[in-house]
Amino acid sequence: MNANVNAKRKIKSSTIRKLEGSLFIAPWVIGFLAFMVFPLCYSFYMSFNTVKILATGIDVKWQGLKHYKYILFENGSLLYNDLFPFLRQALLMLPIIVVFSLLIAIILNQKFWGRTLFRSIFFLPVIFTTGQVVQEFMSQGEGQLGFLERYNVSSLISTHLTSTWSTPIVRIMDSFVLILWYSGVQILIFLAGRQTISASVYEAARIDGASPWDTFWKITLPAMLPFVLLNLIYTTVDLFTFPTNPILTKVTTANYGQSSALAWIYFAIIFVFLAIVFLVFSRVTRSHAAASR
Amino acid sequence: MAKPLAEIRRMNFDRVHLRAWLTRIRYFIFGKEADKGIIFRLFIYLILIDVAYIYLNPILYMISNMIKSADDLLDPSVNWVPRSIYTGVLQDAWQKLKYPTSFSISLLLSLAVALFQTVSCAVAGYAFARLEFPFKKFWMFCLLLTFVVPTQVVILPDLIFASALGVMKTYIPIVVPALFGHGLKGALFVIIYRQFFSTQPKELEEAAKMDGANVFKVFFRVMLPLAKPAILVVFLFAFVWTWNDYYLPSMFLNGSKSVPLSMGISQIQAQLNQQAADYGPSIFDEPIKMATSFLIILPPLLLYTFAQRWFIEGVERTGLVE
Repeated sequence: MNANVNAKRKIKSSTIRKLEGSLFIAPWVIGFLAFMVFPLCYSFYMSFNTVKILATGIDVKWQGLKHYKYILFENGSLLYNDLFPFLRQALLMLPIIVVFSLLIAIILNQKFWGRTLFRSIFFLPVIFTTGQVVQEFMSQGEGQLGFLERYNVSSLISTHLTSTWSTPIVRIMDSFVLILWYSGVQILIFLAGRQTISASVYEAARIDGASPWDTFWKITLPAMLPFVLLNLIYTTVDLFTFPTNPILTKVTTANYGQSSALAWIYFAIIFVFLAIVFLVFSRVTRSHAAASR
Repeated sequence: MAKPLAEIRRMNFDRVHLRAWLTRIRYFIFGKEADKGIIFRLFIYLILIDVAYIYLNPILYMISNMIKSADDLLDPSVNWVPRSIYTGVLQDAWQKLKYPTSFSISLLLSLAVALFQTVSCAVAGYAFARLEFPFKKFWMFCLLLTFVVPTQVVILPDLIFASALGVMKTYIPIVVPALFGHGLKGALFVIIYRQFFSTQPKELEEAAKMDGANVFKVFFRVMLPLAKPAILVVFLFAFVWTWNDYYLPSMFLNGSKSVPLSMGISQIQAQLNQQAADYGPSIFDEPIKMATSFLIILPPLLLYTFAQRWFIEGVERTGLVE
């Protein structure tokens, strides 16, 4: 009898907990359905149709896979012309951003004179990179490194590499400052991540006579790996969804159906790219773990 | 016999002394550990100052260019520091932007979005971190999906429905998603809150529950006050990102008379193009763009200078991520 009552109460309390939880998550779920699922489905639906907005309403005509065929096979100027240079550039920018921000985060984590000042300067990009203002600077040529022009590095690269790879490399070097500007949030994430490693681990390593070099490779880096993955994902998403991205600027109201199809193809590409990043990352970490064992 | 011994001893002493001295120099230069010596320090400062210069350069360039007078602009010997301060360009940009109006629009919009997001994302983040609800794993996956989906995929349906509901050229389509924990980078904020709440000790909530507090009391009286660092980070991010964002306004407010500041640059650009077509390019074209940029980023810059101390601490304490 007593046990029965207890069981009943337990069931009741767990249902109540679930109800409370559902109440808390409800706004988000409603928002998700309204601002994510619904538009997603509708844009998916539109990508198979020709949509015309008329004064009397929306005129929808079924087209099947026509838009997809058109973008993927018939007219390369919509997707491929911008996609491949962009992908190559992203592939080069990704490791640069992650390594650079890791380096800066580790330096900023040390104790030195003027640390607060440097930290506040280094978080400036977080504030400005999202804006059009940075774009303005870059178009003014502020994104270049002076010494590259002085020593004519870009011509050196283009003579030694095939144009497929030299063009993105030169472009990256031209906009190197832009890359640094992109790494604001990444530095933040690494800096926050570095706080999760306790100081006692480093103390123990020092007592055992580990050099700082060893400490970095054996303690800091393995502990930072989850953050590296997070930064990879964040950087990928950020790079691919930046409003000035050449492909995304083609998603316009001029042609609803075709733009939706383009957006969906692009979304699929992001997914594939993320999957590749995931795969490569897990491979590398596994081999790293195997090697250190 | 005594004399050479003393001499040897003295030599020995000298050698020991010398070695101690050498070690001291070595420690001074290389440090007891590699990260404490002067060489390493200099190296670090070199990198830091270089990068800091890269970050500050555009801002300094902007300020220096916008206060140059016509003489200074044409004189190639005037590089960074102008000989006189000329505020005409700034005034011109002020007028072209209709600064007071667009500033208040930007401020209201960013404040509204930031406030809504800080609260609604905190609620969702807390639910994801601590509460039970059906299909939690599925919703978690949805959260990550939201993070990855580019706005551009959903913007066209949003536009269609905004015009169907008659809310085009208003701020409603930008503000309402923020109420539900979505909107600009909403998923990221939910994730930040989730990480923060899951690092907090469970005992606090249990104690509060023991004392008879219900889940709302636990959240609003215990957990939310604890989450100050996370709140600060999210608020600042949300505010600044909404302030800077020009994609959503350019979509929803296209053709509207009253636009936020972030769209100022494209407006000014259009005006300048018009002018260039009519009268030819002017030497003030670039300074005016610089002045515009300056006026646009000044408010968040000020906000950041005031909040940066807590902001940096907040970032460190949130642990932002797992």
